[in-house]
Amino acid sequence: MIIGKPISVNTIHRKLGINKLAMNKIGVNTMIIKKVKIAVDPNRGEWSDLLVKVGEEKDKQAFSRLYTHFSPLVKGFLMKGSSFGHEQAEELVQETMIKVWRKAASFNRQKSSASTWIYTIARNSRIDWYRREARRRVDLNADDFYESADENPAYLSVVQIENKKSIQKNIKLLPREQFDVITKIYYEGRSHGEVAEELNLPLGTVKSRIRLALRKMNLQLEPLEMEG
Amino acid sequence: MAVKMHPDLDMLLDYSVGGLSTALSVSISAHLHFCETCRSYKAQLEDIGGTLLDEISPRDMVGPGLDGLWSMLDGATPDTDPLDSDIRDTDLRDRQAPDAVNSQNTAKSGLDSAAELRTLPALIQNLFPVKAPQWRALSPSLQVAKIPVGEQRYELALHKIKAGGKTPNHDHRGLEVTVVLQGSFSDGNGRYLPGDFLVRGPGNIHRPIASEDEECICVSVVAAPIRLLGRFSKLLNPLLSFNPE
Repeated sequence: MIIGKPISVNTIHRKLGINKLAMNKIGVNTMIIKKVKIAVDPNRGEWSDLLVKVGEEKDKQAFSRLYTHFSPLVKGFLMKGSSFGHEQAEELVQETMIKVWRKAASFNRQKSSASTWIYTIARNSRIDWYRREARRRVDLNADDFYESADENPAYLSVVQIENKKSIQKNIKLLPREQFDVITKIYYEGRSHGEVAEELNLPLGTVKSRIRLALRKMNLQLEPLEMEG
Repeated sequence: MAVKMHPDLDMLLDYSVGGLSTALSVSISAHLHFCETCRSYKAQLEDIGGTLLDEISPRDMVGPGLDGLWSMLDGATPDTDPLDSDIRDTDLRDRQAPDAVNSQNTAKSGLDSAAELRTLPALIQNLFPVKAPQWRALSPSLQVAKIPVGEQRYELALHKIKAGGKTPNHDHRGLEVTVVLQGSFSDGNGRYLPGDFLVRGPGNIHRPIASEDEECICVSVVAAPIRLLGRFSKLLNPLLSFNPE
């Protein structure tokens, strides 16, 4: 496996905290997993159940189902928004799924759905990829600055789940121009400013499309006091 | 007590999709640590990402797949050659932030700094995985510790104002973001508490004063101007452009 040029595989492994001894202790060895299509409705939380199982019991069967479902999605997501080829995209998928395996215990189903949680891990893996490519400081990774934001106790999870449903329902109903701006920002993981520039649109136009789209998806956002 | 000053929604969106610079991401994370409201916004914005992931056209894995993943986990040997990765890390940091590496040997207040660091959010502790921050005095009441992130556009630093300390009047050459982590400070416009997220731009002259009872620690991001080479370059660096009283 080669991830990026300037950094060794062992460094990657160290970043991911992969420890052979620890893995052996809990009995992880190379194993063959048959490809089985399993229908799970994400709205009913089965993916979250599986993730919790991985977190609590290091359940390899549960993980293989998650892997079978999510790795082609993460790969599709990455290839949609970045100029990654198959190989590069799959390396990032592996990096993401290794973190899913390792960090599953920190997944909190009260706070997010399985797909949102995996999305954030893929997002962070991509950030780290770009940072490595740019030869930025490598002892610092995206998880360091994203995860610690969540240290404090959670807010109402019910609101969260309702919102996700509303997003699912309404995102497809967005007018084309709003949908395109929103999806481009997410798929490519780029700032709205960069996207405005690339689409050759005034910044204000992009900002207002974002506002309208967020409103249509019924996000619970109150105006915040601003300072500038 | 609820945090009063917040980043704008577009900035939270950029953060949630991974489109912000590291330095600005750190400042947003620092704010989120204190602000439940913005954490909820961020979680909702991430839910859009999760929904798009659910809805994306999948691409079949053609490489090593799950077997490859298990054997990667199985074959990982970080313990056998820690030197390899450590040398690389140091090497890279050395090139990018010579100050930080060099001061490692000269810091005698390292232990104090480490103890002090433990009271700050884990976020800030995470930014110093190797050693404690290296404080440098800019004026009798103001100290700064740079946080190397290896970016050209933005500089990230901690600022510490002595209890009751007045900082010199200063202007801003570019965007400056300040998030209070501990204690509080005031300027002409108000008093700022932990979590408050302040954005200042050029022409925004202000003079922060820490509260009397406690020293104030902030994390700040400054948009770096075009760097000039030569002995006057430091004077043009906005982080160092405070005029001593």
